[in-house]
Amino acid sequence: MSELLQNLIDGLGRGSIYALLALGVAVVFGIMHLLNFAHGELITIPGYLTYWAFNNGWNWWTVVPLIVVSAVITSLIIERVAFSRVRGASDFTLLLTSFGVHFIVSAGFLLYVSASVKPYPRPTWFAKTLAVGSLNIEVFDLVVIAVTVVVLAGTTWLLQRTMFGLALRAAAADFDAARLMGVKSDSVIRGAFALSGFLAGIAGVFWIMREGQVTPTAGINPMLQGVLAALIGGLGSLRGAVLGGLALGLAEVLLRSWLPVGIQNLTTGFVFVMIALLFIFRPGGLLSVPQVERV
Amino acid sequence: MFPNARRDIAFPVIGSLVLFAVLFGGGMIYQTILGNGSAERLVTTMLVDAIIVIGIQIYIGNTGILSFGHIGFGAIAGYVFAVYAISPEEKLKRIPSAPFGLSDIQVSPALAIAIAVGVTLVFAFIVGIGLARSGAQSGSVAATVITLALLFVTHEVAKSWPELTGGNRGGIAFGIGESLKGRTPILAALFAALLVARIYGQSRSGKLAIAAREDNLAARAMGVNPLVQQMIALLISVAVVSVGSSLRVWQIGSILPDRFFFDYAMLTLVMLIVGGRNSVTGAVLGVAVMTAARELARRLGQDGFEIFGIGLDEAPLDWVFRENLNSVVLGLAMVAFMIWRSSGILEDWEFDQWLYQKIGRGQEVEPQRLAELDSVPETIFAASGINVSFGGFKALTDAGITAAGGEIVGIIGPNGAGKTTFVNVITGMVEPTEGRFSIDGADLSGKPAFELSRNGLVRTFQNLRLFGSLSVRENIEVSALVANEHRADRTIRDVDSLMAEAGLWEHRDRRARELDYGNSRRLELARAAAMAPSFMLLDEPTSGMSDSESLTMIEQVRHMAATVGAGVIVIDHDLGFITGISDRIYVFDQGQVIADGTPAEVQANPHVQAAYLGSAAIT
Amino acid sequence: MLEVSGLTTTYGAIAALRDAHLTVGEGEVVGLIGPNGAGKTTLLGSIAGLLPISSGTISFDGSDITSTAPEKILRSGLALVPEHRRIFSDMTVEENLKIGGVIRKASERAEMLEEMAELFPVLRDKWDTAAGYMSGGEAQQLAIARALMSKPKLIMMDEPSLGLAPILVDLVFELLETLRSQGRTILVVEQNATRMLEVADRAYVLRSGEIVADGTGQELLARSDLFDTFVGG
Repeated sequence: MSELLQNLIDGLGRGSIYALLALGVAVVFGIMHLLNFAHGELITIPGYLTYWAFNNGWNWWTVVPLIVVSAVITSLIIERVAFSRVRGASDFTLLLTSFGVHFIVSAGFLLYVSASVKPYPRPTWFAKTLAVGSLNIEVFDLVVIAVTVVVLAGTTWLLQRTMFGLALRAAAADFDAARLMGVKSDSVIRGAFALSGFLAGIAGVFWIMREGQVTPTAGINPMLQGVLAALIGGLGSLRGAVLGGLALGLAEVLLRSWLPVGIQNLTTGFVFVMIALLFIFRPGGLLSVPQVERV
Repeated sequence: MFPNARRDIAFPVIGSLVLFAVLFGGGMIYQTILGNGSAERLVTTMLVDAIIVIGIQIYIGNTGILSFGHIGFGAIAGYVFAVYAISPEEKLKRIPSAPFGLSDIQVSPALAIAIAVGVTLVFAFIVGIGLARSGAQSGSVAATVITLALLFVTHEVAKSWPELTGGNRGGIAFGIGESLKGRTPILAALFAALLVARIYGQSRSGKLAIAAREDNLAARAMGVNPLVQQMIALLISVAVVSVGSSLRVWQIGSILPDRFFFDYAMLTLVMLIVGGRNSVTGAVLGVAVMTAARELARRLGQDGFEIFGIGLDEAPLDWVFRENLNSVVLGLAMVAFMIWRSSGILEDWEFDQWLYQKIGRGQEVEPQRLAELDSVPETIFAASGINVSFGGFKALTDAGITAAGGEIVGIIGPNGAGKTTFVNVITGMVEPTEGRFSIDGADLSGKPAFELSRNGLVRTFQNLRLFGSLSVRENIEVSALVANEHRADRTIRDVDSLMAEAGLWEHRDRRARELDYGNSRRLELARAAAMAPSFMLLDEPTSGMSDSESLTMIEQVRHMAATVGAGVIVIDHDLGFITGISDRIYVFDQGQVIADGTPAEVQANPHVQAAYLGSAAIT
Repeated sequence: MLEVSGLTTTYGAIAALRDAHLTVGEGEVVGLIGPNGAGKTTLLGSIAGLLPISSGTISFDGSDITSTAPEKILRSGLALVPEHRRIFSDMTVEENLKIGGVIRKASERAEMLEEMAELFPVLRDKWDTAAGYMSGGEAQQLAIARALMSKPKLIMMDEPSLGLAPILVDLVFELLETLRSQGRTILVVEQNATRMLEVADRAYVLRSGEIVADGTGQELLARSDLFDTFVGG
C-alpha cells in the first residue's frame, strides 16, 4: 500500500512535467494545427544557458528566471523565423518544418558547442527526501507537483478570465471567425507561442534540474513525452493534454515497479506498447475531440 | 492490375534502368576522378542510402503519410540480419547468452536478409493495423506520431536489451573479413528497389493509394478502401527498407542503436523531401543532391581545407566552416524546402512517364461516341423512414425516396431543408438515427462509403473532389480499376471512350487540378460513370455554373447515365435544372418530403411555392 | 459608405463572383438576394477579407480596404455575421459576446454587454451556458449580438434566417426591423426574397456570380421576370 502511494507521488511528479510540456504542445496545435517537434528546443537552449550561467557564477535563484524567460523568447523566435512562414500550409509541411527546426538547433549546438555532455550542479535540495510514516517522499516531486498546480491554475485563469485567453480559445475553435471579431491573428499566434514557451520553461526548470547536464539532443525526450502526452489526451484538447501527461508519468513509474527485475530497463518500450494499445482501442486519445468530415 | 502494359510496365523498367545507370554511373565517375578510398566509401554509402530512401518513398510518396518509423523498421531488420549472419565465434564475444539460442546460429547473408525481411514485415503488419485504427490519411498527425514512437521504441529496446543487441556501446559486429566486400548485392538490391517502387507506383494498388492520398473522401466514394491500400504500400515499402538496412549493416560491418535513429531518419527524410517525395526520380535525385551537399559541407568543415587556394581555416568564415557543418546543412535544407518549395525539386515528375509521353505513346485516336444501352438493368434504390437528429435538432423526419434503374430523380428544396443531410445519409457520411436505404433490397445503411459505391451507388461532390495531381485519364482509370473488380456484372465502359464522351479527350494528359470549372465537373461525371454504377448521386452538379452551362449539363448527365445504364439521383437548388432533367422530383422542406411527382405536378403545388417564396406567398 | 466595384473572386477554376458592383449608403438597409450558389456568401466573404479576391476594389468609409486582413476590416467598423453563424460553441454566451467586443476598451465592453442583454432577453437567460447548447434561433441572435458588440458602422449578415423554423424567421425579420429603426447600416444576404424586399431600402439580385438587377424592394417585387430567380429557377 505504502509502495503504491509512493509510486503515485513519484508518478505525479513525473507526470506534472509531462503535463506542462503537453499543454504547451496542445496550445500551439489548437491555434495553428502544428504539432511542434521543436518543442524540446525550449529546453535544450535554456539548458545550455544554464550551463553557461553556472560557469559564470550564477546560482539557481537567478538561473530559474533565466530558464523561463529564455524559453519564452526561444519560442517566439522560432515562430517568427520559421513557423510564421508556413502558416496555413499542409500538415505535412508543418510537421517537417518543426522537425527541421529541431534538427538545426541540435546541429547548431553540435557545431558551436560540442557533442560532449555539459554538466552543471543540481540544486542542493534535489536528492532530499521527506519521511512521512513509512513513506520516503522526494522533496523534488513535491515541489514539482506544487508548482505545476499553481501554474495550471494560473493558466486556467488566463484562458477563462482574460481577454487574451478568450481570444486564444476563440481562435483555436474557429480561426477565421475570431478574426471576424477583430482578434489579430499575429498577436494571438504569438501569444500562443509565448504561453507554450512559458509552460515549457517551467517544465524546463525541473527537467534541467533533474538532468544535471545538457547535450545537443537533450530536447528529444521532453519533446517526445510532450507530444505523446498531448496525443494520449486527445489532440486539440487542453484538458486532455494535462490528463495525458499525468497518465504518461504514472504509467512509467507504475510499470517500472511492476515489471520483473530482469526486464525493468524495457519500461519505456512497454509504455509505448501501452500507448499503441490505447490508440488501437481509442484512436482519438483519452478525451477525443470529435473530427467532423467536411464534404 | 496494369491498365496499360507499355506505360505501366515497359517504361518503368526502362526508367529504372536509366535511374540506376545515372546514379551508379555518376558515383563511378566521381570515384574514378578522386581515386581514393574515401570517395569509394562515399559512393557505396550513397547507393545503400538510395535503397532505403526509395523504400521510404513507396510509403510516404504514395500515401502522403509522413513516417519516421521506417528507420525503426530498418533497425529491426538490421538487428535480425546481424544476429543471423554474424558467425557464432563473433557473437560469443559480444552476446554469448543471446535469447532463443540465437548465439549458436549462423546462416548465409542472403538467407539472413530474407529472415530480416520476414520478421520486420510481421512488425510492419502490426504497426499498420495501429495506423489504420488511428484513421491514417495523407498528412495525418496522429499517424506520424505513431511512427515516431516506433522509432523510439526500437531504439530503446536496442539500447536496453544488450543480451540480444550488444547494447548501446558495444553493439554487434562482423568478424574481420566477414563484412560485405564489393558492391554486387547492393547494386542488385538498388535496381530491384527501383523496379519495385516504379512498378508498384503504376500498379492498381499504387494508383488507388495515390488516389486516396490526393483525396481520401473521393477515393472512398470511388470504392477504394484507403486503409487496405496503405497497408499494401507499407508492407512493400518496409520490405525494401529491410533489405537496404540489412545491406547497410553488412556493409558497415556492425550495428549500434544510434545508427538507426533520429539522425538517420532525418537524413533519409531530407533526401526524399528535397528531390520530391511523390516521385521515385525525385527520391533518387534527392539522394544524389544531399550526398553531394553533405560531402561538400563536411569537407568545408574540415581543418586545412582549401578552396581556390584560400585556406578556410584562417578565413573570417571560420565560424561557419567547422566540423558537423553537414548536419546543420540537413536541417537548413529541410526548413528551406518546406518554406519555399515544399513538394521538392521535381514535385511529382517521373522520368519514365515523361519519356512515355514523349516517345512511347504513339498516335492516339479519339474513340467513337458511345451508344446508349438498349436495355437498362432492372434495379431499384429505396430509402425510407430516414430520421436524423443532431443533439436536439431534428434534421430529417421520416424522409424517403425511391428511384428505378434508368430513371432520373430530382431532389430539391430551399437552403437548410435537409437535402444535404439526406445526401450525407445515403453516402454513408452520417448515420441515420432511424431508417434504412437499399439497392434491390440489399440493406446499405451503416455501410462505409467504399462499400456503397461498390454496390452501385456512386456519388459526385458539390465542391469538386478530383485527384488533383493525377491526369484526367488517371482519374477515370482509378474508377475503372475498382469497377473491374467489384462491378464486373455490369457494362463497364472503357476509359478512353468515357473521356471522349465527356468532351475531355483533348485534355486527357492534363492534371485534374489544371482543368477549368466546367471540365472539372464533366470529369467528376465521367469518373462516376466509369464505376459502372447502378445509380449516380449528383450533389449540386450545376453549383457555380452559368445558365447555359447548366443547360448543357442536363444533356451530358442524361447521356452519360444512359451509356452506362445508371439511374440518377440529383440534388440541386436550381429549379430550372431539376425540372429540365428529372423524370420525378422530391421536394424537401424543414427536414421532410413535402411533395413528390412529375416536374409539372410539383411546380403547381402551392406548398412548394410557399417553401421557396416564404410564407408570405401563400397569403 | 461601402463601395464595391468590379469585384471578381475565384476558387481555383471557379469564378464564384464576376465583376460585381455594389454600394451601401449610411443608414441604409440593403438586401442581397438570389438562389443558393449564386455567389452571395462569396461576395460578403470577399468584402470581409476572408476570401482572396482576383480583381476589383472595395472601399469603406472613404478608405480602401481591398485585400486587407479581416481583423483590420472589422477594426475599421465593418462587421460580418458569417454564414452558419460560427459562434464559439464551447464558450459561454457571455464569453462569445466579450470576444465580439475584443477591440473595445473594458469599460465600453461592459456597457455593450448590458445593452445586448437588454436588446436580446433570450441571451440574458442563458448568459452562462455554453453557446453550443442553444437553439438555432438563440444562436442566431447571439451571432448578431456578438457582431454588434464591436459597435460597427456597417453590419453584414449572411442568411440570418437559414435553418430556422418559420416563427424564428419572423423573429429575425423583426430584429432587422428593430436594427433598422435604430438607424443602423445593414447589408443582408437572404434567400427569403419576398420578405427581404419588404424590409430592405434597396436590394441587389445575384445570379450565377453576377449582379443581374438592383433597385428598391417595390421595384424588384414588381418585376415578374425576376420571379424565377427568386424561386431558384
